[in-house]
Amino acid sequence: MLSKADYSAPFFVAAALVLFFIGGLLTTVVPPLIDTSWSKPFENNDPANGPTGKLRQLNEQELKGRQIYIREGCWYCHTQQVRTILADTKRYGWRGVDAPVSTPDEFVYDSPHLFGTKRTGPDLARVGGKYNAQWHKTHFKNPADLVPGSIMPPFPWIANDPQELDALVAYLQTLGRAKNWRPDNDYEK
Amino acid sequence: MQKEEIIQDAGEIPVAASAKYNESIHEDLTAKLFFISSITYFFIVGIIAVLIAAKFVMPTLLGTVPQLTYGRLRPLHVNGMLFGWLLACDMALMYYVVPRLCGVKLWSEKLGVATNILWNFIILSAVVSFLMGWNQGWEYAELPFFLDVCVVIAWIMFGANLFLTIANRKYQTMYVTLWYAMGTVLWTAFVYLTGNFATLFTTGVNQANLNWMYVHNAVGLIFTPVGLAIAYYFIPKASNTPLYSHKLSMIGFWSLAFVYVWTGAHHMLHGPISQWLQTITVVFSVMLLVPVWAAVYNFFATMQGQWHQLRENVSLKFLMSGVVFYLLTCFQGPMHSLHVVNAIVSKTDWIPGHAHMAVLGAFSFFAIAGTYYAVPRVFKTNLYSTALGNWSFWLFLVGGLGFFVTLWLGGFWQGWQWNNPAIPFIDTVVALKPVWTFRLFSGFFMFGGIVTFAYNILATIIGAKGQGVETQAAAA
Repeated sequence: MLSKADYSAPFFVAAALVLFFIGGLLTTVVPPLIDTSWSKPFENNDPANGPTGKLRQLNEQELKGRQIYIREGCWYCHTQQVRTILADTKRYGWRGVDAPVSTPDEFVYDSPHLFGTKRTGPDLARVGGKYNAQWHKTHFKNPADLVPGSIMPPFPWIANDPQELDALVAYLQTLGRAKNWRPDNDYEK
Repeated sequence: MQKEEIIQDAGEIPVAASAKYNESIHEDLTAKLFFISSITYFFIVGIIAVLIAAKFVMPTLLGTVPQLTYGRLRPLHVNGMLFGWLLACDMALMYYVVPRLCGVKLWSEKLGVATNILWNFIILSAVVSFLMGWNQGWEYAELPFFLDVCVVIAWIMFGANLFLTIANRKYQTMYVTLWYAMGTVLWTAFVYLTGNFATLFTTGVNQANLNWMYVHNAVGLIFTPVGLAIAYYFIPKASNTPLYSHKLSMIGFWSLAFVYVWTGAHHMLHGPISQWLQTITVVFSVMLLVPVWAAVYNFFATMQGQWHQLRENVSLKFLMSGVVFYLLTCFQGPMHSLHVVNAIVSKTDWIPGHAHMAVLGAFSFFAIAGTYYAVPRVFKTNLYSTALGNWSFWLFLVGGLGFFVTLWLGGFWQGWQWNNPAIPFIDTVVALKPVWTFRLFSGFFMFGGIVTFAYNILATIIGAKGQGVETQAAAA
């Protein structure tokens, strides 16, 4: 049937595109139409359905921090997704409370998305609120001071710029907070 | 019997005797420029590659300069290798191969030269962008919007030149290399638009799904088909042996056309994406074995009784080790997409080991082989040094294997550690330090491969004039 493509370029082009577009359309255009949770922001007021809370949009300062996170390529070494793997929920939990699995409705306002592919450093999906601002500021000066053995590089040009530093920390504190999943909101000292 | 008919039909088929020097209708100016650009970027970006590998061992190395921080050099390394080196070299080889398979000159050398100038502008602008931190935040699609538009224009210029050459062809039957070349042009256009333009209109998981469709198919529907186009041309050509089976190459091509595009979401396995989509992507990822094994069987069967040629032939060494790496990397891929395996290796250092085997081990090996074969021919001379060519092969092979195998072992170990939440994360970092040191030393070997390869080609080009005249005189 396809042997006509051996000598007819127009037939070849048509066949190659038709085969490509079957899978192309079914896996890109169709899924968001079927799965509405991809575009509906998280909101839950009933504790019986899991953690309560509401996804909000970032404010100006937090967005600026997010831009710094993108500019410095933080997302090459830190993912933002607690996967459906038991060890993920335990490792990124807090004082014995498991971290809730990341769901599409928590990322509706994200653009660019920052799910990431590589964990040279730990996942940051639920890092918001775990450490106080001072911890983060010391950490950006030289991570190995706070975490011996860390290979995260120092970021002196951010640490020495109070505006950038505040913005970046403000952004990090929003991560994973749409779901009110922890028993108390204190910080690691 | 059938094999021979195809040979007759396809005109100047890769199976015919090797092209004679100084007897060519082809100008090859575009191919020459793309060879020179791509090999220059291979060398420069190779330095960046070694530098970021060194940063894993010495995190504070050059760390006070914002432009030289890891997070800005990594996209430079990835994009520089993918688009500056590999795609540019693949384009050079297409400018070389397609006119020869069609029996006519390239449609327009002027358009080709303009494409090369635009391509160099894109790559040099990309370097500035990444060092300045102008990053769009999508993997493989980091380039600023303006440069995305330039890439689309360059790709249309490239595609138009190839398609118009094919439309003017002298031989009616199109050899399998031409299908892969045309498939690359067509699919890349849509894959690139999805990853760099459609993503702008979406957010969150929807956007991530488009992004992964692009990332996956940047390898699967850009580098794979153009890499196979090269392998299908140069394996028979370099070994002076007909391709084993035309029918098998058809099965491989059409199954690739259908299957590859379904698998992008396997980058989100276990992640915040619908379960049913994960199931689809796993099924199609396993089906990827069909096009891969069809192509690999064809290449091995072609070499039957010809393996002794590997001893003398630098191009064949690269080609056939590239085929083995292609087989391995495309066995890993489908296996990674199984949930049980994914739970261990995903997000670990195993993945760069896998990715480097695909892009360096398989597709760069094909491109290097094609370059070793084609550059002496377009410059009408002989390769500067076969011995140096063998050196580059062994340096790439030893460095590459060292890199791949260490990262697999290290990444697998890392994955097991992560799956035990009692082990603090920082302990899993410290545990990997010997692995990263070994990786750096493997990187030195790979860089040695780049240096010897680039020097050999450079010396071939510089020495071309004198030798060309001599050969001509001898021929006369």
